[in-house]
Amino acid sequence: HFCFILLWCYTLNVPGSKGSPLSVGAGPALLTCCNVTDGYKVRLSIKTALGDDAYEWSKSELFLFRAVLAFAVQRKTNNVNYDVSNILVCDETERVSFWFVVTTPDNTSELLPKLVVENAIRENRHRINSAFLLTDQTLDFVGINPTLAAPIEYDTPPWLIVFGVVMGVVCAGIVALLVSTFLQKKRAKKPSADPVDDEDGSGSIAGNGILCESIGDKDGTYNQGFTDDDRFTKL
Amino acid sequence: MEKESRPSWDNPMQFILACVSYAVGLGNVWRFPYLCQMHGGGGFMIPYLVMLVLEGIPLFCMELAIGQKMRLGSIGAWSAISPYLGGVGMASVVTSLYLCLYYNVINAWSFWYLFHSFQAVLPWSQCPVNTNRTAFVEECEVASPTQYFFFRQTLNISPSIQQSGGVHVGQALCLLLAWIIVYLFIVRGVKSTGKVVYFTATFPYLVLLVYLIRGVTLHGALNGVKYMFTPKLEQLANPQTWINAATQIFFSLGLGFGSLIAFSSYNHHNNDFEKQAIAVSLINSGTSIFASVVTFSIYGFKATYNYENCLERMKLLLINTFDLAEESIHKQNISFWISELNQTHPDQFGLISSRVEHCSLEQELDTAVEGTGLAFIVYSEAITNMPAAQLWSVLYFFMLLLLGMGSMLGNVMAIITPLRDFKPLARSFSNETLNGLVCAFCLLLGIGFTTPAGNYWFTMFNEYGATFSLLFIVLIEVFTVSYIYGLKRFEKDVEDMLGRRPGWYWKVMWAAVSPLLLISLFIFYIINYIQGGVPTYQAWDKEKGRLVVTEYPVFGQAFIGVLLVSSVSCIPLAALYAFCTRHQREVPVRKGSARSRTSSV
Repeated sequence: HFCFILLWCYTLNVPGSKGSPLSVGAGPALLTCCNVTDGYKVRLSIKTALGDDAYEWSKSELFLFRAVLAFAVQRKTNNVNYDVSNILVCDETERVSFWFVVTTPDNTSELLPKLVVENAIRENRHRINSAFLLTDQTLDFVGINPTLAAPIEYDTPPWLIVFGVVMGVVCAGIVALLVSTFLQKKRAKKPSADPVDDEDGSGSIAGNGILCESIGDKDGTYNQGFTDDDRFTKL
Repeated sequence: MEKESRPSWDNPMQFILACVSYAVGLGNVWRFPYLCQMHGGGGFMIPYLVMLVLEGIPLFCMELAIGQKMRLGSIGAWSAISPYLGGVGMASVVTSLYLCLYYNVINAWSFWYLFHSFQAVLPWSQCPVNTNRTAFVEECEVASPTQYFFFRQTLNISPSIQQSGGVHVGQALCLLLAWIIVYLFIVRGVKSTGKVVYFTATFPYLVLLVYLIRGVTLHGALNGVKYMFTPKLEQLANPQTWINAATQIFFSLGLGFGSLIAFSSYNHHNNDFEKQAIAVSLINSGTSIFASVVTFSIYGFKATYNYENCLERMKLLLINTFDLAEESIHKQNISFWISELNQTHPDQFGLISSRVEHCSLEQELDTAVEGTGLAFIVYSEAITNMPAAQLWSVLYFFMLLLLGMGSMLGNVMAIITPLRDFKPLARSFSNETLNGLVCAFCLLLGIGFTTPAGNYWFTMFNEYGATFSLLFIVLIEVFTVSYIYGLKRFEKDVEDMLGRRPGWYWKVMWAAVSPLLLISLFIFYIINYIQGGVPTYQAWDKEKGRLVVTEYPVFGQAFIGVLLVSSVSCIPLAALYAFCTRHQREVPVRKGSARSRTSSV
């Protein structure tokens, strides 16, 4: 993979621009850009991210990229001298992927160490993403993994709250039922001296030991003595 | 005479809804679609319906008839039929007890998931990050977020059944809630249960309907439904298909637990149970088919989603490696590009060939899952990809809860009804206290299932606690009714209750077909157990991120033996006991009949 890139870079070798500081829009620098130890590969998946609203990748977009990256590095190093020209880009492909390196403002042949670039990008990832309306997955810096979002911390886990509500309702229901049963039993026990005169319906009227209310509209209780059962007629 | 006559349902509709609520349970949602997929899709309907007619409806009707005639729970009913066979009722109670212990744990899980659905981001949709925020937790990377949430955060599962740990507090709380709700539903016996079943029987259908509409409108759902309904009739030649159909009908209707006897014991003497038996059995089977349409539309959605993700990954791999423009590769030409690039740039292609996957929709649809894996892993994964996932999640787990609670009602009634018929207990404890004690007892034992090894014990109970013993119980039941009690006497009883004798269909089924079917199922089970070798279970391996087949240790196998023997042995032991006590008495055994004869005016 690396050999492939190097080969690609050599074919783009433009004679005569070696060593001179680059101006905006000039072609890619030579070997310095394709030095893989200090450079990063970037991949943009614009169509995946934006679908129909996707913009075309053009020179202006590339300029924006270089500008945003310069901003990020400037912010990181607190050095106001960083400029768009310090970001060198090469090896653009149809994929919309390219390599870039960052040169120091004082000495254009010296490159910024990889770690500094990486930290600069990490800290400003969100700003870089929003400049292009992309996300961590669609604007991919190969080798810089996005920091995962911190998990949301709750004071009380929400499930416990719902549990508490349901438990409270259910317990209230049980208590209500038990209390009402208990009260019913108390009222049934009270008019025990007067079983006949119970007309308000709160007590239970019984006849033959069978509660009338349990008979109600049924056809009576079943008396097993009248079964037409062979068992009983052994004689 | 009795102080208080037996309570009863307010109207026959309550009884039907109670039976429907009991029979329509989780098995309809997670077992039937799996069987459908395994045994040839639409073609599975044939053995399923045949078995329904041959064994399901007759056995269901028989149990209802017994309960309605004897007006006692399972122990009392079977003792009345034959004093030697009170053990059948006891075996039913023991099996119901085992079922109660572990079944409510599923409801606890449903509660756990339901409560966790009230969050902005569903916790099983993404992996938690590790401490320095550089990557996701390793176990979650290797498995998937839904599996991680189920095995680690819900169960906190241990690597094997030998290793255990402390109780998972969240699970224990949910189990407590589940048992309190069961208590609330049964606290007043039939009076409270009768009101509750209006809701637990009907609401799941509403949710299923909503899910059906949501399901078939999902992208790719029709792939799943088409896959399910294309019959592969060659599966009918496989005997396993017929055996699975018979077992599914059998367990789905909940025969042999004593719940049906308990429910029908609260009926009027002249209630038309024959028509009700046919209605409930048909409703149960219809629900299975309905639920499998919903399941398959969700399967189709999930399979299509995974397939399209696979294609996306491949496309990204290719355009990144070969720096091609984004829009040059899409779904239709990806296979063309793969072969093309393989030829033109073989070296580079060789570097990535290990990461190239062959995406296949068929393969995605072929992955069949059943049981808790389907309900809590596959379904929850599919839900996270739907728009407004929280709403669908709440609705789905609420439905699971209702199905589970409805079945629990029947299970607990099967224990409580015979206990209440036992006069000394009924005198010393009131209705509410006895129900509370039973629930508390089951809760305490059920806490054991919330330990890290608890899921393995759960699987053991699920596979061995009720399956074998039920077959034996129902076999003895149908044999007793047809031959020991006598089909003639049974016919008279039915005529007494319904005003008409049972037709030839019923008599043929009860006397010949169902017993034969049950005997063959029973023999098949025994052969399967013997041939299966050492019983195994699936243990979660956290390094590999998947389930591995492990053998049960010695104490595990011993416990399986205890489970099987404890319920089945009630029958011979009770018969032996009755035989011994009979011989010791001079007074004729039918004390009850003598008394009623002399007291009839």
